[in-house]
Amino acid sequence: MNPSHGRPARGFWGDLMKKRLTPYLFLAGPLALYFIWVIYPIFRTIVASFTRWDGMTRPRFVGWENFVRLFNDRYFILSLLNNFKWMIGFVILSIPLGLLFAMLMDQKYPGHRIYKSLVYLPMALSFVVIGQIWSWVLEPAGGIVNTFFRWIGLESLAKPWLSDPKIVTYSLIWAALWRQIPYAMVLFLAGLQSVDKEHVEAAIVDGANAFQRFWYVILPELRPAMVIAVTVNIIDSLRAFDIVFVMTRGGPYYSSSVMANYMYIQAFHNYRMGYGAAIAVIQFLITFGFILVYVLNVLKREERI
Amino acid sequence: MRKLLVLVLSVMVLLVFAKERIVINSYMSDPAPRKALAELVEMFQQKYPEYEVVVNTFAHEDFKVLLRTWLASPKGTADVVTWFAGERMRYFAEMGLIVPVEEVFEGSKWEDYFPEAFKSTCSYKDKIYFIPQSWYWWGVYYRKSVFEKLGIKEPKTWDEFLQVCETLKRNGIVPITIGTKFPWTAAGWFDILNLRINGLDYHIALTAGEVPYTDPKLMKVFEYWRQLIDRGYLLPNHTAYEWQEAATFLFRGQAGMYYMGQFIKDVAPAEVKDDLDFFRFPIIDPNVALYEETPIDGFMIPANAPNKKGAIVFLRFIASKEAQEKFAKDLGRLAANVEVAPPDEHARKGLDMILASAGVAQFYDRDTNPEMAEVGMNAFIEFMQNPNRIGDILKRLEAERKRIYGK
Amino acid sequence: MRKTLKAVFFYVFCTLIVVLWMVPLVVAFFTAFKTMDEIFMLRNFWAPPKTWTFENFKIAWTEGRMARYFVNTAIVTAASVAGTLFLSSLSAFALAWYEFKLRSLILMIFVSGMLIPFQMLLIPVYRFSVVTGLYDTLIGVILFHIAFQLGFCTFFLRNFMVTIPTSLFDAARIDGASAFRIYSKIIMPLVKPAVAALSILEFTWIWNDYLWSLILLQSDAKKTVTIGLTTLQGQWISSWNIIAAGALLAATVPVIVFLIFQRYFIQGLTLGSVKG
Repeated sequence: MNPSHGRPARGFWGDLMKKRLTPYLFLAGPLALYFIWVIYPIFRTIVASFTRWDGMTRPRFVGWENFVRLFNDRYFILSLLNNFKWMIGFVILSIPLGLLFAMLMDQKYPGHRIYKSLVYLPMALSFVVIGQIWSWVLEPAGGIVNTFFRWIGLESLAKPWLSDPKIVTYSLIWAALWRQIPYAMVLFLAGLQSVDKEHVEAAIVDGANAFQRFWYVILPELRPAMVIAVTVNIIDSLRAFDIVFVMTRGGPYYSSSVMANYMYIQAFHNYRMGYGAAIAVIQFLITFGFILVYVLNVLKREERI
Repeated sequence: MRKLLVLVLSVMVLLVFAKERIVINSYMSDPAPRKALAELVEMFQQKYPEYEVVVNTFAHEDFKVLLRTWLASPKGTADVVTWFAGERMRYFAEMGLIVPVEEVFEGSKWEDYFPEAFKSTCSYKDKIYFIPQSWYWWGVYYRKSVFEKLGIKEPKTWDEFLQVCETLKRNGIVPITIGTKFPWTAAGWFDILNLRINGLDYHIALTAGEVPYTDPKLMKVFEYWRQLIDRGYLLPNHTAYEWQEAATFLFRGQAGMYYMGQFIKDVAPAEVKDDLDFFRFPIIDPNVALYEETPIDGFMIPANAPNKKGAIVFLRFIASKEAQEKFAKDLGRLAANVEVAPPDEHARKGLDMILASAGVAQFYDRDTNPEMAEVGMNAFIEFMQNPNRIGDILKRLEAERKRIYGK
Repeated sequence: MRKTLKAVFFYVFCTLIVVLWMVPLVVAFFTAFKTMDEIFMLRNFWAPPKTWTFENFKIAWTEGRMARYFVNTAIVTAASVAGTLFLSSLSAFALAWYEFKLRSLILMIFVSGMLIPFQMLLIPVYRFSVVTGLYDTLIGVILFHIAFQLGFCTFFLRNFMVTIPTSLFDAARIDGASAFRIYSKIIMPLVKPAVAALSILEFTWIWNDYLWSLILLQSDAKKTVTIGLTTLQGQWISSWNIIAAGALLAATVPVIVFLIFQRYFIQGLTLGSVKG
C-alpha cells in the first residue's frame, strides 16, 4: 500500500481536481468531436424542421406547419405503420432466431467455425448489394423463390413479392432479416461465451430440465448481449432505409415506404428540407422514446448489482 | 540558399505554366456515353492545351441529389454540370443558381447551332442557360420479326392499335410490356395519352399546375388508358420490374410492344438490336395535332463555378458541329446541332417523326414541379393497379396540386 | 447413442440453415459470371452460366477503378476504426467508472447520436466540410466517421467495462495510480477482446459505407469502393452482371477480414475473461 508511482493526492484541491475533473478530461476529446460533427448538425436539423426550406435559398420560418402537415399526411402515417411492422419483425424474429442459431452453432463439433463463417457472410456485404441480390431472388418470373414454388407444384405461393402492396413490406423485412439474424447470432454467440458453465452444470445437478436451465440460468447471464441485441434491433428497424431504397424506393405507390425513405424523398427529391427535417425529428423522438425506456431500465438494474 | 531559390523558381514555373482547370460533374455513368464524353474531353484538350479538364462521374440518382448541394454550396467545386432542359433547369435559373451562357454564342446566334424549337426549353426569361447536347424520342418499340410472323402492320389509329393488342394476346404474347418499379415509365404513357387527347398547350398548362387534376378532360386520358388495363393487355406484375427487366420480355419475344425512349437500343442484346423498330404512338383524336416527347440532355454552368471563363470555352466546344457529331455518332442519338445529320437509319426515322410533329414536350417529371411529379407518378401506378379508384386518386392529386402551387 | 443423435442433429440443422442462407449469394455469384445477353435472353437467375466469363470482373475492376478505390477505402476505414476505438475507449472509461453529475446526460447524448436518422445530417455536415475546406478530402470523411461512430462504440464498450469488478479499480486507486494508468494498464487490456470484436464490426460498416463517401467526396480519384460500384449503374442501363462482379470484388475485403478474425470476434465479445 505504498504510493510508489504517481503523485500522492495533495490535499483538498488536488484531490478534488483528480476526482472531479478526471472523467471530463477523458471525455473532452470525444465530446468535442461529437459535438461538432453530430450534435450541432442535429441541432440544425431541429431548427430546420420549423422552416420551409429548399436546401438552397434562405429558409423561411413557419412554426409548427410541418408537424401539423405530418399528422395529416397519409403517406407519412403509412410509413410510420410500416416502421412498426419492421420493428415487430426484427424483434420477434431476429432475436429468438439469432439466439437459436447461436445456441445451435455454439457446440464445438468439427467444422463449427465453417458454419458460423458462412452464416456471417451477409453481414460483410453492403446494403446496396443485399438489396440488389434480393431483388433478383424475389423476382416474380425468374427469381429463385417463385421458381422453387412452381417446381414443387405450389403455384399459389409464387406471389409477386415486391409488387403486391399488401406483402411488399414483409418481403423487404425478410431481405433485411437475412443480414439481421446473423448479426443477432453473433451478439449472442459472444454472450454465450460468458455464460458460466459451472452454473449450468449446477443446475443439471439440481435436476433442472433443458428449458428450466435455459430460462433460469442461461438467459439471465445473457443479459448484456440481450441489451445490445434489443437496442440495435429497435434502432435498426426504425431507421431502415437502404434496403427499402434499393429494392422498391418505397413503392408501389408508397406501400413499402418507411420514415427514412419518405424523409429522403421529401428532402432531396421534392426539395422540402424543412418537411424532411420534421420527419427526421419525429423519427428521432420515437426511437428515442423506445430506447430511453429500455436503457433506463437497464441502468436501473445495473445499479442494483 | 540555393535550394530555396530552386524551390521558389519551380513554384513560379508551375504557376506560370499551370494549366487552367475545368471541372465537369456528370451523370453519364453508362459505359458508352461515359466513354464518348471522355473522348470529347480529349479532343477539347488537344484543341485547347492550356486547359486541364477533370470529369467526375456519378450514378444518376445520386447526381440529382448532389447537384443541389453543389449549386447551393458557398464555395463552388464544379464548373460545368450535366442536366436536363425544361422546368428542371429553369428551377435553378429562377433561384440564380446557374448563370446564362449567352457568351457561347458570341458572334453568332442560337439558330446557327440549334433548332428554334429547343430555344424556349433551354431558356429562362429570354436568356439562354442551357446548352443542349443530345436528345431522343419516345416511340412504341417492337420486334419486326414478331410482327411479320403474325402479319401485323404498324397501327396508325387507336382502334388499329387495340386490334394489334388483341392479335398479340390471342397468340400468347403479352401485348404491352412496361416496368413500373420506378414510376417514370408510367409517366411516359400519361404524357403521350394526354398529348394525343388534349394537345400540347393543355399538357403544358397541366404540368405548370394551372389545370385541376379533377378536370373532366383529364379523365378522358384515364378512360383510354383503362381500356388497355381492363382488357389485360399490360404485363402482369409490372410494378416488380425495372424498365430494363420489362424490356427483356420484349427482347425474348414474350411481349409485343414497349412505349419507350430510343435508349432501349443501348440495352438490346446483339441478336435483337437490328430486329427492333418503332412506330409513332397511335392517333386517338384526328383533330389534335401530333406532339411527341423529346427529352433533351445537355450542360449548364453553376453560379458558384470557380472557372466560368473556362466553362464557356468548353461549352462552345460542346455546341460545335464536330463535338455534337461525334457524340451522336457514337451513341446513335440525335445531336442538337442542326448541322449534324442523323447517324443511322433508325435515327433518321426518329428525326423525321419529330420534324413532322407540331411540337414537343419534355417529359412529366422534367416539366413539372418535382414534388408534384413525385405524387403524380405514384398516382399513375396506383391507378394502373386499381383502375376503379381513379376518382379518388384524382381528388387526392388535386388536393396536392392546390397545396403545392397554391392556386 | 444420445451423443451421436445430438451430433446428427447439429450437422443436419446447421447444414440446412447454411444452405438456406447461402442461396442468395449463389445467385449473385452466378450472375457475376454471365454475359449480359445471356441474362436478358434466358432470364434464369439461379442457373449456372452457360459460358463462364471473367469479362465482368475485368470491366468492374477497370471501369470501376477498383484498384484506386480499394486503397482509398483502406485508408479511410483503417484510420476511422483506429480513431473511433481510441476515443470511445476514453469516453467509455469515464462513463463506466466515474460517478459524476452529468454522467447520465452525457451517456444519453452518446446514445441519441446512435438514433439519429443520418440522412438528415447530410446538409449540415456537407456545409460544414465545405466551409472548413475538408470537402473532397479523405481526412474529412475520416473525421466524420470517427465522430459518428463514437456513440455506438462508447455505448458498447461501456457496457462491457461495467462488468469488470470495482475491486480491481479500487485496488489500483489505492496504489496511487493515475486515472490514465488505470485506463491503459488495467482496464484496456481486460476489454481488449471486446475492442477486437467492435473493431471488426466497425471495419465492416465503414468499409461498406455509401452515403457519407458520396456526400463528402467529389473527385473520381478520391472515391471509395462502394461509390465506385454504383458508378457502374448507368442512367438507363444496369449491367447486372458487371454490378454483381463488382459487388463480389467489393465484398472481398470485409469478408476476408471477417473470416480471419472471426475467432477473435467471438472470443472478443466475451465477458468471461474477467473472473474475479
